[in-house]
Amino acid sequence: MVEESRPFSSVGKRYPDVTGLAKVTGTARFISDLSLPGMLVGKVLHSPHAHARIRRIDTKRAEALPGVRAVVTHHDSPSKQYTGTLMNLQSYGGIEPWGVYDTRVLEDRVRYVGDAVAAVAADDEFTAEVALELIEVEYELLPAVFSESEAREPGAPSLHDRVLRRQEDGAPGDEGVDRNLAAHVCHRPIGDVDAGLREAHAVLEAVGFTAKQKQAPLETFHCVADWQHDGRLAIWTPTQLPYLFQRMIAYIFDLPVGMVRVRNEFTGGAFGAGLSVFREPVCALLAKKSGRPVKLAYSRQEEFVDRPTRACIGPYTFRMGVTKDGAITAVDRHAVSAAGAHIECAALTSLICEAAANPLYRRGSYRAEVDAVYTNKTPCGAMRGFGNPEDTFVREQVMDMAAEELGIDPVEFRLQNLCRVGDPGPFGPDFPIPSTGMADCLRIGAERIGWGSRRDGGTNGSRRRGLGVSCMAHQSGAWPVHVEHSNALIKFNQDGSLVLSVWPASMGTNAFTSLVQVAAETLGVPFDTIRVNWGDTDTTLYEIGSHASRTMYILGQAVERAAADAREKLLSRAADQLGVAAADLDIRDGVIFAPGLPDIEMTVAEMAKRAIYDLRDVEDIVGKASFTPVTSPPPYQALFAEVEVDVETGEVEVRKMVVVNDSGRSINPMIVEGQLEGGTAQGLGYALYEDPVLDTESGRMLADDFDTYKIPCTLDMPPLETILLEQPDPTGPYGAKGVGEPGCVNQAAAIANAVYDAVGVRIWSLPISPEKVVAALKATGPSPDGAAG
Amino acid sequence: MKTKDVVRAQVATFVVNGRTYEELVPPNMTLLELLRDRLGLTGTKRGCSGSGNCGACTVLLDGRPVLSCLTLALLARDREVLTVEGLSTPGGLHPLQQAFLEHGAVQCGFCTPGMLLSAKALLDSNPDPTPAEVRAALAGNLCRCTGYVKIVEAVLAAAAVMRGDAAHEDREQAGGCVSW
Repeated sequence: MVEESRPFSSVGKRYPDVTGLAKVTGTARFISDLSLPGMLVGKVLHSPHAHARIRRIDTKRAEALPGVRAVVTHHDSPSKQYTGTLMNLQSYGGIEPWGVYDTRVLEDRVRYVGDAVAAVAADDEFTAEVALELIEVEYELLPAVFSESEAREPGAPSLHDRVLRRQEDGAPGDEGVDRNLAAHVCHRPIGDVDAGLREAHAVLEAVGFTAKQKQAPLETFHCVADWQHDGRLAIWTPTQLPYLFQRMIAYIFDLPVGMVRVRNEFTGGAFGAGLSVFREPVCALLAKKSGRPVKLAYSRQEEFVDRPTRACIGPYTFRMGVTKDGAITAVDRHAVSAAGAHIECAALTSLICEAAANPLYRRGSYRAEVDAVYTNKTPCGAMRGFGNPEDTFVREQVMDMAAEELGIDPVEFRLQNLCRVGDPGPFGPDFPIPSTGMADCLRIGAERIGWGSRRDGGTNGSRRRGLGVSCMAHQSGAWPVHVEHSNALIKFNQDGSLVLSVWPASMGTNAFTSLVQVAAETLGVPFDTIRVNWGDTDTTLYEIGSHASRTMYILGQAVERAAADAREKLLSRAADQLGVAAADLDIRDGVIFAPGLPDIEMTVAEMAKRAIYDLRDVEDIVGKASFTPVTSPPPYQALFAEVEVDVETGEVEVRKMVVVNDSGRSINPMIVEGQLEGGTAQGLGYALYEDPVLDTESGRMLADDFDTYKIPCTLDMPPLETILLEQPDPTGPYGAKGVGEPGCVNQAAAIANAVYDAVGVRIWSLPISPEKVVAALKATGPSPDGAAG
Repeated sequence: MKTKDVVRAQVATFVVNGRTYEELVPPNMTLLELLRDRLGLTGTKRGCSGSGNCGACTVLLDGRPVLSCLTLALLARDREVLTVEGLSTPGGLHPLQQAFLEHGAVQCGFCTPGMLLSAKALLDSNPDPTPAEVRAALAGNLCRCTGYVKIVEAVLAAAAVMRGDAAHEDREQAGGCVSW
């Protein structure tokens, strides 16, 4: 909308985050800091058993404890089944083939260690915790199952009897569950896969297993519920999808949607954990019963055992056929997805997993199926990358195997097979790829890591050096698979400053800042004159929220259009005031002027004031836009890793990483770098050590704090070079594409490929622990120089 | 708080961010609880379960970093506590706060207060640290958002400002971003 010939005033600038001042001074309010008058503390009683029926539950002693204001159990819970996964509601009908309504707020049955049994609201945390101990529960223990393959066997313990599934009319309908199969879903096949595999020169096959990574935001789960005087339920939640959350809470409690008011404060990290309704309904029950606002506060241990994790896929069977000259004839995939106790995101993540490479490599034919299976484990929810790191870990190793089989350099083999502009995009041929910088990402990264000298890596005592590469494509929002609708509203204050009403997730992506930059650029006003209003369904317009790397691409376009609308209205009013045509006016740095007419000039502040106080023409100037995208341009990235593997201990040390990323034009390069650097740390932990180990006897999660579940610290980060390609996408706001998720996708695959380059063994299960490396080295026997024996 | 805790509670004086507080404090109250729940200084965060594993609750006690979730409040009696709320002055932000903003070292912001205070303790004792020394000083402060790159950059930049080095280059040229 703004001509490209003019240099940008805000776009492309490394502006500090608009929420940063509050955060560095300690004044930023998080939900865990929130305090309402009369507010109680809520605590959840968690199941010590992996699978049990609650025969009797006696809360009398707990209720009698001074300071206890409410105790809730399954007797207080709505009996309605729902699913935590909010993406089900990103459609008119409200339930998808990959979504199953299999969850109740509280039930007379617990399905994993840590599942919610009951909850208490008390004057303080101490009283609430004492009260939990006074709740008497009589459990009837049921046999439990922790392995997906065992869960599918005849006679295995059954997790769910009846669930609600999508029926032909698009509404939920009651059905039984066949041997713990939560859902079987597949992609529509393209081409003839069997023929493609038959006719291939070589077929590469692998079976991979991924890890149940924790999102591990630094702020644990907190929410506040308050039933207001007018019967409305207000909930402060760390949700990433506020209006879908509103709809699901209304569904659970049988309320009209307008009777639910969703609120938000700053969220101390989410990384996908905010895509589900979690324990907010329990908090709402406590608030209802006590008649007081209640804050439910999770400890780190509770966060680990109860909050849904990243999807865990395995066995993931991957077959790829290639011709002699290196073309991919067919890709055939089958994923078993560990749903855990509820389906949550298990089936959807696996579908995305199997579609992740659609806009990355050309393939002759393609088939993909998913079985999501219930077991007595913590459910698998959403985490950043959402299936893409899972697929990439297996796919990119198979790409290297094919290159080796054919005697082609891995980088060359990838370059040869890359999708081009106009090829089918993430969601099929009707939505072609509008831009790709993938080839440049590969070439630049190869040069920066020294790919040409890769086989000269050499040895250092018992350590072997290796280089690895991985490529990925992602998406910029999930349209047309989901409704992807965003709104923005921008209003002028009487001093010419502005308020932008939008609601991207407040989880720390710095999206507020980029959106303000888009608005400032479009309007021609200084960046620091725009503030953001967010966090209340009563004062913002409908918004899907932040997932699928959609915020900058989709909400960014809504903001660009709302700002253009405001600009047009402002100029039309100014034209009347100045006696010129609106088309002759422009705005720069907060001043309205007529190019070529030096006498015609008025500040935006003056116009905003006149809009309100000049009685001849009173109407506040407000810009608004509703926007739904017409495509989903894939961001692209190549990551190169240099590792040293100790053949005696199996330790993998990452010596250097180079990330070359194409997210179109960076609205704020500092923020884009931050997303990629932070993602790299998460991907590094996923690759090497993040693994919530489960005791397969009891079903207890053994990793329940940061000493037993390690996330990277400052000392774990290797030297990292982050390169932004800066090729504008023709469809994005000022050329931007999605950037939230690409950061954490490539690390596990690039490191696995580097390990193979270093010591000649392939690791197919995450994390790539020293034990697995040593075991793999032993299995292949002593290496030629004897060091691995 | 149980009755017997109240009986054993002691009136103690604390100097927090230069201001003196007199409080009735039970013996089992942590410094984190005193700061957040009693004094309303919610800038100090709780990220783990009182195990000292995350560093979000780091404050300075007589200038040295402590994990306030593992420090009994009464141990801070008659001593000086500095929290993130006391870092800036009426004259403006502390150079560390300024550098965290300018270098994009803040994303969700939950680890930021503890990170800032660990960094301040480092720079107060070592005005010219190497990148490795910065990483070592911040190793106990977990961050899940940033990957630490910009945090380390910011601490080094703040150190330069505090030393009065004129040579803090223009961000546009010095940034880690290479545009092609």
